[in-house]
Amino acid sequence: MMRRIWAWFTEKWPYYEVRDFLLEEEIPGPPSYAYAFGSLIVFLVALQVATGIAALFYYVPTIDHAYNSVAFLRRQVPFGWLIHNMHYWGANLMVMVLAMHMVRVYAWGAYKTQLTWVIGVVLLLTTMALSLTGATLIWDQKGYWAGEVSTSIAGEVPLVGGIQEIVMRGSHTMGQLALSRSFVFHVAIFAPLLALFIGAHILSFRRTGIVGPWEPSKRYSKSRFWPDQAVKDVIMASAVFFIILFLSVFFPPPFAGAADTLNTMYVPKPEWNFLFLYQALKYFKGPMEPIGAAGVPTILVGLLVILPFIDKDPERNPFKRPVAMACLFAYAGVVVALTILGYLSPGLAQMPSPAAQGKTAVHAKLPGAKRGEELFSIQGCTLCHRIHGKGGTAGPELSGGTLTGKSRKWVIDQLKNPKSHFPASIMPSFATMGNSDLNALADYLFSIRTAPTASLPPPLPVSVLSKAPPGIMVIPPDTVPGSASGDAAFIIGSAENGAKLFRDQCRQCHGAAGKGGITDPGSSIGTIPALVPLSRALFNPDPDIFAGNIDKYIQHGAVPPGPKPVFYMPDFGDSRSLTQQEIANIEAYVLKLNGVDRGGLQNPGLKPADFLAGAAIVFAAAIFLAVVLSRRRGRGA
Amino acid sequence: MTRRGFFRKVVIGALSGAVGIIVSIPVIRLVINARPPGRLAWSRVGDITSLPHESPVAMNFEMRSAQAYMHQLILRDVWVIRHAGGNVTVFSPICPHLGCHYKWDPATGHFECPCHGSVFTVNGKVIGGPAPRPLDTLPHKIENGALYVQWERFRVGIPQKVRI
Repeated sequence: MMRRIWAWFTEKWPYYEVRDFLLEEEIPGPPSYAYAFGSLIVFLVALQVATGIAALFYYVPTIDHAYNSVAFLRRQVPFGWLIHNMHYWGANLMVMVLAMHMVRVYAWGAYKTQLTWVIGVVLLLTTMALSLTGATLIWDQKGYWAGEVSTSIAGEVPLVGGIQEIVMRGSHTMGQLALSRSFVFHVAIFAPLLALFIGAHILSFRRTGIVGPWEPSKRYSKSRFWPDQAVKDVIMASAVFFIILFLSVFFPPPFAGAADTLNTMYVPKPEWNFLFLYQALKYFKGPMEPIGAAGVPTILVGLLVILPFIDKDPERNPFKRPVAMACLFAYAGVVVALTILGYLSPGLAQMPSPAAQGKTAVHAKLPGAKRGEELFSIQGCTLCHRIHGKGGTAGPELSGGTLTGKSRKWVIDQLKNPKSHFPASIMPSFATMGNSDLNALADYLFSIRTAPTASLPPPLPVSVLSKAPPGIMVIPPDTVPGSASGDAAFIIGSAENGAKLFRDQCRQCHGAAGKGGITDPGSSIGTIPALVPLSRALFNPDPDIFAGNIDKYIQHGAVPPGPKPVFYMPDFGDSRSLTQQEIANIEAYVLKLNGVDRGGLQNPGLKPADFLAGAAIVFAAAIFLAVVLSRRRGRGA
Repeated sequence: MTRRGFFRKVVIGALSGAVGIIVSIPVIRLVINARPPGRLAWSRVGDITSLPHESPVAMNFEMRSAQAYMHQLILRDVWVIRHAGGNVTVFSPICPHLGCHYKWDPATGHFECPCHGSVFTVNGKVIGGPAPRPLDTLPHKIENGALYVQWERFRVGIPQKVRI
């Protein structure tokens, strides 16, 4: 019955013709793993298509939900972590394998077939476009800034820049329309184009055939694609597949935090495969930059395109093509060197230009200023005093003109006995600090005040603390007990970025790494609560519940119980001094300090390590089966 | 080629071309579309009476952002410098080079952009890095000690300040 159906099918549909067209190919010389890169790329593309489509069942391309939808896929959907991580690692390996494929083709002189090579360059550009648009889709810090900077660079190109920017962004700024376009370009334009060009590439390649070994003596023996070369291709693809599984299980990409234009603790830097461009553009300054933005990619791609039309010498032996091989090493060397330089460049903020370095004098003049700055933070001064706009509002801002005209003695008296100048002051006395530390603090305070101006010190703001109800349990002052946690509780933050924000915003009170230790004499516990270990009432092994618990405090603030607490928890969310994305990052960090992974898998389907073990067993069984079957066949014959 | 055959090919070409043009022109217009900048609203940034003099302060404020169909309450920030005479300077937080967010470094007394290393003085003048123009100022007004700004964006990467 089956045989009759098959006969009917092959009569109606040219199955054997199509099969022979695809598989019947003669290879000069023996098959080789060196030829397997092309098939490997086809395999990786197929894997990207499969995992990409699977991710689309959950992905939402809107700026308010894209990041959370990806996080949901990764944490709550069975095997969603696997799909996302495989797509991520598959994309990275694709770029690497593509580079190897090109180097192989170059070394064998196979680019001399001309058209196949040119279509290959188009495939390279399509892959880079997919890499860039794909990163933007996540709408995390990494992808957002990659999109912002790359579309800005495209917009700088002379003449066509304006139109390029509009086509890529859908408007002049990075917003919803830009995300929609990244989505359409990634899924509906570049991905199908990639498939189309791969088809064209293979057809063009089949017309000339594989070039084979360069020595004529090795070309006499013939082999066939099916199954001589195909078995090597499949073994190579399986090995790479297993590598992708391994990376997906043990090296998941970290959560980079939701896109946030206000978070300056994040230093945008492109993915590794764009670092060479990032670095190259640094050498074009000012009015030269548009020329670099248009010129560098044009030259790099242009060289690749014209290559087969310049080098027409039929010689393919790399050892007899010294100039061509030198060009390969020069080209690859430049790209690799720029990539390494770009990778090592710390984000230039840490190495300001010589012009900027000349003006650090304020600190240098006063020897204790550096130590004073540390003390200012450790002693919790920033809780009440603002410096350059950062810090509490209970006391006066200390940068600017507040201390103008005040002597060192005045400042040290103020630190030792605040009531001597302001009888109603709530500032605690710091008389227990040593004289050298007091002097260092004064040095610091003098280093940040501006040159004498005629301005009056600003009026003392009304103390927030005086409003605090005495002796009441920890309740956010302006909110109802048990009030809802904010948006941040539902965003998977970046613990790495959270650590930086914590150092900037929370360390003064909660101590380095949340270990506490800052005294708060007026409160009933006497110290500001440590975050490690955290109160049992707030801790929870479930990261979602844990984040929700601490979120209320970060959003709405809190007043500690006690007769007259000096310090209180500011309402970072309500006061808008931190964005929800920043709060989410801080929460991820606090969870990490307590041994809970904010991005931890909630519903993995199978534990990643177990999954990998299962995959290894399936592979082992397949290899065993292949060996047994081929042995039995060997005996039979 | 026969005359009739030629005529048929011309008809095929002309009709296909007509369909192609009729579809593609609207599609191209749809893709290359950026609305001109809309009317600007004043956003209240906050009280500035307690700000230090001549020292930049980043102030966050909430505003309603509208792009196409997406309306959101979002946080923005601006750099505010209060001058001794009572005037203020308000800088857009967006680096005029490629649109990153620059920072104030109190140690050097400069604005610095972490992306590509542009450095600006407190007055916004470029003194290092690739930025093609000074920091962009934003229109602002002060009412009862509170600062209001009009949030605007400008094209990056060019020497001129062009509103978008």
